Amino acid sequence: MDLGELVKVAWQGIVANRMRSSLTVLGIVIGIAAVIALLAIGQGARVETERQIKNLGSNLVFVMAGAAATGHVSLGHGSAATLTWEDAKAIRDVCPAVENVAPGVDGMQQVQYGSQNTQTNVMGTVPEYTTIRNFHPEHGRFFNQTELDHSARVCVIGRTVADNLFGDETSAIGKKVMIKGEMFEVIGVMERKGVTQFRDLDDQVFVPLTTAYSRLFGINTATGNRIQYVLIQARSEDEIYQAQFQITNLLRLRHKIRPPMTDDFIIRTQMDLLQSAESVTAIFAMLLGSTAGISLVVGGIGIMNIMLVSVTERTREIGIRKAMGARYSDIMWQFIIEATVLSLAGGIAGIALGIASSQLISQFLKWTTVVTPWSVVLAFVVAVVVGLFFGIYPARQAARLDPIVALRAE
Amino acid sequence: MIELRDITRVYNSGMQPVHALRGVTLKIHSGEFVAIMGASGSGKSTLMNLIGCLDRPTSGQYLLDDENVESLSEDALARVRNRKIGFVFQQFNLLPRMNALENVAIPLLYAGVPGDERKERAEQALRLVGLGDRLSHRPNQLSGGQQQRVAIARAIVNKPHILLADEPTGALDSQTAGEIMTLLEELHASGMSVVLVTHEAEIAAYARRVIRLKDGLVISDTASVPGRAPAG
Repeated sequence: MDLGELVKVAWQGIVANRMRSSLTVLGIVIGIAAVIALLAIGQGARVETERQIKNLGSNLVFVMAGAAATGHVSLGHGSAATLTWEDAKAIRDVCPAVENVAPGVDGMQQVQYGSQNTQTNVMGTVPEYTTIRNFHPEHGRFFNQTELDHSARVCVIGRTVADNLFGDETSAIGKKVMIKGEMFEVIGVMERKGVTQFRDLDDQVFVPLTTAYSRLFGINTATGNRIQYVLIQARSEDEIYQAQFQITNLLRLRHKIRPPMTDDFIIRTQMDLLQSAESVTAIFAMLLGSTAGISLVVGGIGIMNIMLVSVTERTREIGIRKAMGARYSDIMWQFIIEATVLSLAGGIAGIALGIASSQLISQFLKWTTVVTPWSVVLAFVVAVVVGLFFGIYPARQAARLDPIVALRAE
Repeated sequence: MIELRDITRVYNSGMQPVHALRGVTLKIHSGEFVAIMGASGSGKSTLMNLIGCLDRPTSGQYLLDDENVESLSEDALARVRNRKIGFVFQQFNLLPRMNALENVAIPLLYAGVPGDERKERAEQALRLVGLGDRLSHRPNQLSGGQQQRVAIARAIVNKPHILLADEPTGALDSQTAGEIMTLLEELHASGMSVVLVTHEAEIAAYARRVIRLKDGLVISDTASVPGRAPAG
């Protein structure tokens, strides 16, 4: 039959009962708007996470000290002195795919300046850190090789620390702060890097690794020059996996790990982080999506309900149409199309509402939201499917009516 | 054209079966103007529904244009109704949300006639019943007589063989009723077969042949000898 005519008739019916139709589709409007907004938030989170991980630097490989285990009890990452500065140096010298390495130890420390003090993450590392992380001082400078070699008591502070201790970042240079009873000269303030899902990169203090060993963490050659992690930069993006392979082999060799034994270190590439972050956001999106799905089912049931009412109210119309020669399928399609047009109208309103609320969310909550075209297409398709599905039962009821009985109806 | 052979129709809906028709045999030829009369409960509505292919007999044979229709499927009956029969009801039965033109076009929609042609033919039919100037009026903007004219236009728009009118003047005053009957006479004169169901003798008087029903049986038929020769 003539689809255009069916849609027109359906639309007339919807408009004739404007109030009822709009209340009926409210469930669909909210459901679709939720799908659009939630997918936009999910996609925004994904884009944001990717940006943050890329922000860590480029072509990165992370090696972390593995967990020491006593019996079957894991003591957590970095608990064993399995990874040493010597390992880091060996990685730099031996692995051809590796460009730069930056070993590190860190821990929470009280940092004091006058009457101001703050609890922050103090990190011992090497000058290469700035290149690898693409993270540079904005004022002053980072410590250099000489200062590293001589365990100089200098530090470079993050913006948050500068704000907490000095109120502004420029006056910090040259001042002395106290960390664990030792005075450190502030030689630089880092640029603002922002908060990632891992940590606030601006709430950190950087000191030479040697200084961290002797002054802060009580590490010496007798205890082993342990480090908690090594940041490694591969020569290029294509060489990340080679670097990972070379490092793994080198560390197994140095740590004398043979096949049945498990590695005492953990190695992750930036790609791994991206992938796991993506799977986390995928789960997030799925959860949000299923919540929206429930409201769509509720909306669909609302449509089914009102269509059943409509069939009862229009029994006589159905009888007339049958007398005029409408077949089973003609009546069936009329009501299915009506349900679908209703649902689709709700869907379009929902898409508009969803896009509008995504924009409000990013404006007022400062969350990144991204409305992707496919989420709009998905919402559209879902609205059609909901209408078709929940229209079938009422439409069958209508199509099965006996024309004589239907004609006699009031 | 219409041939009923020993038609019975039994309803089993209540406690006891109701024998609405107990064996009706009659022939209606093309071009006839027949009135079916009877008190309420005589079976005339049942007979009307059967002739109109809205219902199927419990037993007996119904030949419409030499085709057995008593055993056709629902959809096949719908097709027969669409092509061969035009209905006129007592309550007009127009769709309130549609204008006159759209109402008249409904049978053409189910006949699969394309949109432009539907409009053109519906307009023609409305002109024929004298409502060429009321095309876009809705039923509630028309008088009873005008509504019944729209209904008649709808009944004839797909050029059916038979016009079935069930108490077409039952809801109209006598003057308007006369006008509607005159219209039916004109349609008959132009070659259409008209079957009229009524309980009013004055209305039945417009017909050339009167069949009386009582308790599900034909008790009299003014054309025991076929009167008019088949025309067209």
